[in-house]
Amino acid sequence: MTSSKNVAHESAKLHVTGEAIYIDDMHVNDQLLIGRVFYSKEAHAEICSYDLKEALAVNGVHAILTHEDIPGENQMGPVVHDELVMAIDEVSFIGQAVFIIAAETEAQAIEAERKIKIEYKPLDAILSIEDAMSKGHTVQPTRYIKRGDVEKGFAQSEFILEGSLKVGGQEQWYLETQVALAVPGEERDILCYSSTQNPSETQALIAEVLGLSKMEVEVQIRRMGGAFGGKETQGNHVAIWASLLAQKTKRPVKIRLFRDDDQKMTGKRHRYLNEFKVGYNGDGSIKALQTTLNADAGSATDLSMAVLERAMMHAENAYYIPHIDITGNAWYTNLPSNTAFRGFGGPQGMASIEQIVDIIARKLNKDAAEIRKANFYGIEDRNTTPYDQVVEHNRLPHIYQELLESSDYKARRASINDYNAKNEFFKKGMAFTPVKFGISFTTSFLNQAGALVNIYKDGTVLVNHGGTEMGQGLHTKMRQIAAIELGIDVSKVKVNATNTSKVPNTSATAASAGTDLNGMAVKDAADKLKLRIAEVVCGIFNDKYSGEPSVNSNLIFLNNEIKDSANPERAISFQEAVLKSYLGQVSLGATGFYKTPDIWFDRENGTGHPYYYFSFGMAVTEVLLDVLTGHYMNLRTDILHDVGSSVNERLDIGQVEGGYIQGVGWCTTEELKWDAKGNLLNHSPDTYKIPNIQDVPDDFRTNLLKNHPNGVPSIHRSKAVAEPPLMLGFACWLAIKDAISAVGEHKYEPVFELPATNEVILKAIDSVQDAAKLSI
Amino acid sequence: MNSVKFILNKKIISVDLSQGPYGPTTTVLEYLRSQPHLKGVKEGCAEGDCGACTLVLGDLQSNGEVRYRNFDSCLVFLPMLHGKELITVEGIGDSSCLHPVQKAMVDTDGSQCGYCTPGFIMSMYYLYNKKEKASRDEIKDCLTGNLCRCTGYRSIMDAAEQSCGQEKRDNNNFSSQSKKLLDSLGVTDLAIETNKQSYYQPRTLDSALSIMSLNPHARIVNGATDLGLAVTKQKALLESLVDISCVNELKEINIREEGVEYGAGINLEDLRLHCADYFPALQAMLNVFGSRQIRYLGTLGGNIASASPIGDMPPVLMAYEAIYTLVSELGERKVTSREFVTGYRQTVMKENELIKSVFIPFPKNNHHLKSYKISKRKDLDISTVSAGFQLKLKEGLVEDIALIYGGMAAQTKRADNAEAHLRNKAWTRTNVEEAMSLLSKDFTPISDARSGEEGRRLMARNLLLKFWNETQYD
Repeated sequence: MTSSKNVAHESAKLHVTGEAIYIDDMHVNDQLLIGRVFYSKEAHAEICSYDLKEALAVNGVHAILTHEDIPGENQMGPVVHDELVMAIDEVSFIGQAVFIIAAETEAQAIEAERKIKIEYKPLDAILSIEDAMSKGHTVQPTRYIKRGDVEKGFAQSEFILEGSLKVGGQEQWYLETQVALAVPGEERDILCYSSTQNPSETQALIAEVLGLSKMEVEVQIRRMGGAFGGKETQGNHVAIWASLLAQKTKRPVKIRLFRDDDQKMTGKRHRYLNEFKVGYNGDGSIKALQTTLNADAGSATDLSMAVLERAMMHAENAYYIPHIDITGNAWYTNLPSNTAFRGFGGPQGMASIEQIVDIIARKLNKDAAEIRKANFYGIEDRNTTPYDQVVEHNRLPHIYQELLESSDYKARRASINDYNAKNEFFKKGMAFTPVKFGISFTTSFLNQAGALVNIYKDGTVLVNHGGTEMGQGLHTKMRQIAAIELGIDVSKVKVNATNTSKVPNTSATAASAGTDLNGMAVKDAADKLKLRIAEVVCGIFNDKYSGEPSVNSNLIFLNNEIKDSANPERAISFQEAVLKSYLGQVSLGATGFYKTPDIWFDRENGTGHPYYYFSFGMAVTEVLLDVLTGHYMNLRTDILHDVGSSVNERLDIGQVEGGYIQGVGWCTTEELKWDAKGNLLNHSPDTYKIPNIQDVPDDFRTNLLKNHPNGVPSIHRSKAVAEPPLMLGFACWLAIKDAISAVGEHKYEPVFELPATNEVILKAIDSVQDAAKLSI
Repeated sequence: MNSVKFILNKKIISVDLSQGPYGPTTTVLEYLRSQPHLKGVKEGCAEGDCGACTLVLGDLQSNGEVRYRNFDSCLVFLPMLHGKELITVEGIGDSSCLHPVQKAMVDTDGSQCGYCTPGFIMSMYYLYNKKEKASRDEIKDCLTGNLCRCTGYRSIMDAAEQSCGQEKRDNNNFSSQSKKLLDSLGVTDLAIETNKQSYYQPRTLDSALSIMSLNPHARIVNGATDLGLAVTKQKALLESLVDISCVNELKEINIREEGVEYGAGINLEDLRLHCADYFPALQAMLNVFGSRQIRYLGTLGGNIASASPIGDMPPVLMAYEAIYTLVSELGERKVTSREFVTGYRQTVMKENELIKSVFIPFPKNNHHLKSYKISKRKDLDISTVSAGFQLKLKEGLVEDIALIYGGMAAQTKRADNAEAHLRNKAWTRTNVEEAMSLLSKDFTPISDARSGEEGRRLMARNLLLKFWNETQYD
């Protein structure tokens, strides 16, 4: 037995025993200082004056830094340098860092924070997308993706529908809040343990802010307690603040954000306001779509343009629309800069097309699943996206048919209708929704990865790669890939903490591409090592055996052995071969590298081949809605999801289920509201409600699509998983809408939003009842 | 006595709280996280909403048995461990020798990032060691207080069913060693005085009342699910505290002919289990009250005395016409639940008074009682709107009706106009719908993080219709 496809998470035993070490659990010497951030309480204001004297006098306080204490650049924007490390003379959102404090205890830091005096002169603040749109302040020029002629498409359509959809943001709500521990070393060196998805960027920004070279900064992360995109750029901030304080005090400094501060200070999934006009025919086929996606970027650029780009590229989801015109804007507001969150714009882009299909079905009095099927991308034709990439290896029709049958959709639809006819105060609803998701960073150069694989004299292997572990099981998969490639047991392979000194210039572990990119880099390193070891082994075999000499290309690494496939009696254990290689003065460490082939995107023209391939999946959810309270129960959910040839089915199932539930949370109970001054109202789990165990479907059937390896040569023909299943949550959102619609016997269109909180649900029911009364 | 004595993973621990680094309001979570080898427990929110800090607490009962419960250690002050047994994830197994719940969690892939996992493990460990095997509903209820952001819970549910849901569990003699250790602790009243704080933990009601009269500004604390937040969230210094959690007289339950007298110190989980046979509307509310971790800490008296307009107990107790007995050194007096609250977090209680007990009369045959709670998330959420409704029907006519709402005003409040409209009328849908429209006169709700004003108005109306509908089946 070499390496099973279905090993448990490499840290599972450490998780369940509490032995897994997160940054906040690390043992630090008694020199440790606790860092704390003093942040703006105003959404937009001028800083008139401040006084730190009393705060500095608090016992145990070692430093309070302002923007003037920054040796390098006062900038921490990841793409565009428009985000200050600490405010200068103006603040532009509540939660923006103004000062940073280091003290011996948390209590002392809090006391100092309370003694800081600051006076603001409030300025006008922009707190909604509508307000931002009326003031006309976009982050970058408007983006367009166009194909065909929408006016012609509308002219050819039997029906025209216009509308808009408000799509809410979402707090990542990783269990482990943002945390970093910075330790000063010799000379100017800083070692920062940072809960980051992007160690290389964290390293680069620390260096730039502290005025150091990148060689002087080392960033390490063993594991994060969840991230979901929330630590793609936002992890940089605490790492920079902690490093500044460590540099200044010459002592280790740890900053861990308190939950409420984390929710107030850090960026979230962008909320969107999507406007659309669509032309369709009586058979449900969509002929033309004109849509504008408006994102709330917050106070800085961060990743907003990339998120917007992905939203635009997913505005048609799984549907072929001949004439399409997609416009995208990201608008500045005085809120924390919004950022990455699993799906990265995909969910916000797809929400309105799924809503559109649902409306069309109601207008035409047809089952929405049929409308979806009628519009899916084709296999041979009708298969080009609005940005001109052909949807190859299209699994949509196959998944649709298989799930339609396995979920018993048609029979259940009939029984739901029957139930609804008999019940006034409870209604059932069901929806069947698809996801097509492009895999690769749309910023093409980011699609690269490196690895460093070391084989030690005892035959054990230490894998370093550029990806980070946030719970998704990337390290488990890297371990499996190294073990498979070297033909040894997974127990002989260990994956190291991610460290910038081992693999340089890596990309964020994001875009679902962690396994695709790093897996290939690990394989590349393993291939190099195998070649070197194979030469040594051939030498050994050819010394020992007469006859046809062994050649590299015939050697097989399997079951902890190296064998000559042409002469099966010639075999040597992997461990012995490694030792012989060492004695033969052969290098047993190798770097690996990978770049995704054939991807490019022309932003000017909105065309290209931005994705290496597409992932597909579908879900059917049935709910029971209490019409009077707006509470619902997820009765049954069936999922069929495409991960190609899975590297690890156990982990992939976990990603699909977890993604679906996270999507359901976004679509239902996870609501973000701000008061008139720009204070976030839902800043703790008291008022910000992620799903709990009671929200899980009673009957939850998740399956991976079988016998469909990836059509492109990805690592072991697998497909990315992380993000796409989040959008399966639309099945629950639209099932709720279907139940609401049943109140008016599906004759009236409910006024609907995302998230569908019970307040939204009750208002929608009210609107349907009002419409029904008017029509009598 | 200044030192807190308790058992931690089968070892006796004594911590002096009078001179730092720990004080009387140091939380159990803070204490453990400051120890080098007890960092399995995690802080996720510091407000009892996520369960990452879940641990198991054992209490020696009067019958000599040890009773275990799961609880949120972020809310509990160190002195509350006095005389009790604390079990952390380090105490149940390690990676070379997993406990059955840990093994099940590995086998079902119940952990992804792992940060919430020790908390889930502790809730499951508590379930595993209960006498009865856990049903699916019991598992769900027990894990409601543990949030996971990664897995989608199915795998965790499977792990719990595979371990705690089995008849055959290796949990005999689980507490035999603990009994001996707990007996040996020999704890007495605590009186901790530091230069900033005082903390008293009396063991009799008389002693509690006399401490209260000597310290008129002391805050009363029992489970700390509300007061604990002042420390963990506002970082406030609580100067003087009287902890009544060890006063057994406050935990008595007396079943009488006319009703049940519940000690105010009874925890909400014990109340939930007990009231099932007598007061179904009360139980319905308790079923969606917080999480099990919270219900094990929070008390009946605490929820009443905090007088929050969104408290879950007041509407339903008012519907039952419960009567509260207040006690001070001067003696006892009775107050009806419907007169108890006077304003936003204001009550008729005087300084030095405690709620001693709550008497709930059995409803008459013609009385219809229901409770409702609407919250953004069905479970472990605070009410957006809650209600306790009481209907007295006589020959099809409304003899009397009490429509008590939470979340609709600055205090728990009756719908006077709607009630007046319904009295002496037939209990018909038409009359109820007329009353529903009068609710807009009764209430001017606010918009907040939980809902807008309009949403609250709709909820209040709908609940009345729901009540009418459900009384049709009584």
